[in-house]
Amino acid sequence: MTRLSEDKAQTAIAAVLRYGSLVSTLVMALGLVMLLIRGLSAYPPLESPAPVGVVVARALRFDALAISELGLILLLLTPILRIVVAATTFGLERDHKYMFIALGVLVVVVLSIGYAMG
Amino acid sequence: MDFTWTKVLELALLGVVAGGIGSMTGIGGGLIITPVLTLVFGVPIHHAIGASLCCVIATSSGAAASYIEHRLSDIRLGMTLELATTVGAVTGSLIAGILSRGMLAVAFALFLIVAAGVMLRRRSTADPPGSEEIGTYKVRRLPLGLMGSGGAGVISGLLGVGGGIIKVPLMYLVMGVPFKVATATSNFMIGVTAAASAFIYYSRGDVRPLIAAPAAVGVFFGAALGSRLMRKVRSGRLVLLLSCIMFYFAAMMIWKAYQEGFFR
Repeated sequence: MTRLSEDKAQTAIAAVLRYGSLVSTLVMALGLVMLLIRGLSAYPPLESPAPVGVVVARALRFDALAISELGLILLLLTPILRIVVAATTFGLERDHKYMFIALGVLVVVVLSIGYAMG
Repeated sequence: MDFTWTKVLELALLGVVAGGIGSMTGIGGGLIITPVLTLVFGVPIHHAIGASLCCVIATSSGAAASYIEHRLSDIRLGMTLELATTVGAVTGSLIAGILSRGMLAVAFALFLIVAAGVMLRRRSTADPPGSEEIGTYKVRRLPLGLMGSGGAGVISGLLGVGGGIIKVPLMYLVMGVPFKVATATSNFMIGVTAAASAFIYYSRGDVRPLIAAPAAVGVFFGAALGSRLMRKVRSGRLVLLLSCIMFYFAAMMIWKAYQEGFFR
C-alpha cells in the first residue's frame, strides 16, 4: 500500500499544507493584531456562527474581527484542500483506487459542511 | 472573557506548548488545551472543544508538512482509514451538541484517565529501535483498523481531541505499520478528522474566534518547532510528566462538573 520512493503526491501535498496553513495563520494573526491595536469595541459584533459571506464581505472592508474569523475558516478549510490535492495527484498518477478513496473522504467532509451551513 | 494583549499572549502560549508537545509525542494537543481552557480560562467546555479542534488542525498542518517531506507518512493508508474516521467524527460532534456541559466534562475526564494510562503503559515498553531505513511493510487487519479508526473518529468529534492516541497504537500494534510511519500518518490524519468535526461545532457557534484564533496561531508555531525537535528529544520523561498532568486535569474536571451539577 505504500510507495516510499520519489512520490509526487507527497511533495505536492506538503507544499499545499505549508502554504495553506501559513496563509490562514497570517490572516488570523493580522486580524488579532488589528483588534488589539484598535480595541474590540471599534468593531460591530459578529454573530456566532457567522455566515461565510458576511465574514468575507466584512473582512474585505478591513473589519478586524471578521479577518480573524476568516483566518479561522481558512484554517478549517486547509485539510479539505489537502484531500483535494491528494485525490488529484492520485488521479494524475493513475492510481484510481486511492483517488476514489480520497474523493470518498471529501464527500463525507463536504456533507458535514453542508449540514453545518444549511 | 475580555480581550487584552495578555489574554491573547496567554492563549498563544498555551497553543505553543500544546502544539510542541502534541507534535513531539503524537498526542496531547487537544488533551491539554481543553482542560486548561475550561479550568484556567473559565471557557465553557463546548467552546473549549471548538477551539481545541481548530488547534488540532493547526497541529496537523504545522507538523505534517515536514513529516511528509521526509516521506514517512503513508497517505494512502491514512486516506483509507479516514473514510471511517470522518464518519465517526461527524457522529461524535453531533452527539456533543446534545450533551450537557457536565456530561461532556465527565466524558472528557474519563478519556483523559484512559489516555494517560495507555501512555504510561506504552512508556515502559521502550520505543522501538527507530531505524532510519524504513523498508517496505504490508498493512494487516484493515477491517479492524477501520473499526478502530471509526471509534477514534467518534471520540475526536465528541471531545475535540486529535485521536492520535488511538490511531498510533492502532496502526503500529494492530496493523503492522512501522512506528514512525504510524506517528507521521496520524499527524496527517488528525487534521482531516478535526475538520470534519470543526464545521459542525462552528455551525453551533461553538468556535469562538477570540479564543480559537490566538491558540491556533500559537499551536502552528509550537507544532512546527516540535516536529523539528522530535528527533532529538527523548520522550520518556515527557510522557511521564504529561500523564501526571492529565490525571490532575481529569480530577479537576470531574470535581468542577460535580460542583456545577452534571446536567447543566
